[in-house]
Amino acid sequence: MPARVRKLAIALVVFLPLSLAAQGTRNANLSRDLERLSKGERIAGIPSADSVTAGPRSIAAGVTVHGTVVAQGPVDVIGRVEGSVVSLSGDVTVHHGGVITGDALAVGGRVNADSGVVSGEMRSVATLPALLAAAPLVAEARSPAQLTMDSVRIVSVTFGVLLIIAVGVLLFAGRNLDEVVATIRQRFAHVFWIGLLGQVCLLPALAVLLLALALSLIGILLIPFAVVAYAIACAGLLTLGFLAVARLVGGAVWRSPGDGDRTRALFGLAIGIGVFFALWMVAALLTWAPLAATVMRAAALAATWAAMTLGLGAALQSRAGSHRRVAAGKRPVELAAWQTPTPVAGIVAARRPTATAGEAR
Amino acid sequence: MRKFRLLWVLVSSLPGVAFAQGEATWRSVDYARQLRDTMPQRVRVQYNAGRVDVRGSNDPLLYGMHLRYDEARSVPLHSHDAEQRSTVLGLEPRVNGMRNASSGGESGEMRLTLPRSVLLDLSLEFGGTESTLDLGGMALQALSLKCGAADAKLLFSRPNRSRMRDMDVSVGAADFSASHLANANAEQIRIQGGVGDVDLDFSGTWTRDLTVVAQLAVGRLTLRLPPDVGVRLEVERVIAGFDHAGLVKRSDGWYSPNYDQSAHKVYIRAQTFLGKVNVLQAER
Repeated sequence: MPARVRKLAIALVVFLPLSLAAQGTRNANLSRDLERLSKGERIAGIPSADSVTAGPRSIAAGVTVHGTVVAQGPVDVIGRVEGSVVSLSGDVTVHHGGVITGDALAVGGRVNADSGVVSGEMRSVATLPALLAAAPLVAEARSPAQLTMDSVRIVSVTFGVLLIIAVGVLLFAGRNLDEVVATIRQRFAHVFWIGLLGQVCLLPALAVLLLALALSLIGILLIPFAVVAYAIACAGLLTLGFLAVARLVGGAVWRSPGDGDRTRALFGLAIGIGVFFALWMVAALLTWAPLAATVMRAAALAATWAAMTLGLGAALQSRAGSHRRVAAGKRPVELAAWQTPTPVAGIVAARRPTATAGEAR
Repeated sequence: MRKFRLLWVLVSSLPGVAFAQGEATWRSVDYARQLRDTMPQRVRVQYNAGRVDVRGSNDPLLYGMHLRYDEARSVPLHSHDAEQRSTVLGLEPRVNGMRNASSGGESGEMRLTLPRSVLLDLSLEFGGTESTLDLGGMALQALSLKCGAADAKLLFSRPNRSRMRDMDVSVGAADFSASHLANANAEQIRIQGGVGDVDLDFSGTWTRDLTVVAQLAVGRLTLRLPPDVGVRLEVERVIAGFDHAGLVKRSDGWYSPNYDQSAHKVYIRAQTFLGKVNVLQAER
């Protein structure tokens, strides 16, 4: 074999696979670009990678092309395209007499159609859109251990937030909390029914309030604020009531007569909240066993609802703890039947002392 | 050892770079559509957060829209129904409204041009956007503007080429100012504000009488009126001040001294709960 032929054969053996590999990579990239074009830009009738013009493309006058035209260079349209025209790198120019019945899209260039006709939309984009996954309709599939950890985290964070709120209430509304606790102690069953009634009346009361504002015309402006204020007031009453019940429960569990009032109240609150959250925590820890978790959650929900109902009733009864008859040590009038009544004959009044003549001087 | 450190820096910085790239993917696009005829059109524009600029254009385009947006969070809106003659433009959040076009301290941008030669029913719905709207010289038949929680400036730099049936502005918790409102060529203007200052300037070319209903819950309502227009003002307020600036009280409201002689009249009904109503009428 002559030396020249041998060199040519070696070159073919070396470069042919490289060339084929490069062609394969180009086709793969192009296919990806076409997919992005189809899904991201919603260009209809995108051709296969093999049908894409590698460089510039021109549609001559009098020529009609059916279907979408895609080129990797600039596209000039003087004829007619029954479909869309896409340049993956360059401008799309529609000259006088040129017609595109679909969209014209230029990636990294401009669409110039001052004298031609584009029936669809003209789009100039810097880059092709990324192929982003659609928003998941359902939660990602997570392992039972991860789900359990998530539940535990949520319960822990909620417990922490409620503890912070409890400290705030203790510091700034301690007397109100005392009053609500005292009201629960005094009228346990009564406040439960009031709480139940309160829950039933929450929405009708809001409706009445909004109706009254609407009827007053000028009050229409206040409706958004009234809704927000009402929601805040309800949340405040529920929280105050729940904390009062938690404190009552905590006080029953943890008795330490040696500590001061503040310390006793704080520990009582923390332990009471802990008792309620212990149920939720057990339910969270059982997330890996769905049936057991559901049963436990139902129990926790029932306990929390009972506490909330009781607390709401007490908060309403004591007017958010501002009605201080109980906490001040004065029993409500209707409970004070044991007190000694004033004699019917009255009490003899003492004579007022009068100044003597010597003192007057 | 030095190479090892370099490798360590590279390896440790890669996840950060990947994370940063995953956070926001900014993309710029331009959309436009040629105008086929001058039949009336309905255009609705929706944008959540960022900067917005809307103005009229003499180009033969139904719309020209430039968007810069975070691809990971938002999707452009650009649909046109030729039969219904309606167009929807703007940007919508990718995930149930929880994300907006602003991320990583950067904010998105929309520049929109609409034709002056076509009768338009225009509806603009903005969320937390800083919007500048120059709708002068357009042919608006109706305008609805809803702003959420950022400032909005509306300007009619030139007279509207069509008689406007309705102009409704609804502002949430934001400052709103409107200039040259007489150029809007509207029969009635309704403005509802939540919390914030509302500044209405009624200068411009007066071609007809105008009724304005301005309701503001909390904030300052300023009405700037030209000297040659007759003003009749009714104010309803609860805990609000009222600066009537030369208006004279009659049985059914406050009147400007030139009310009976003026060629054009404006009837303003202002309602506010908490704040102040300022009336400023320039002297001749």
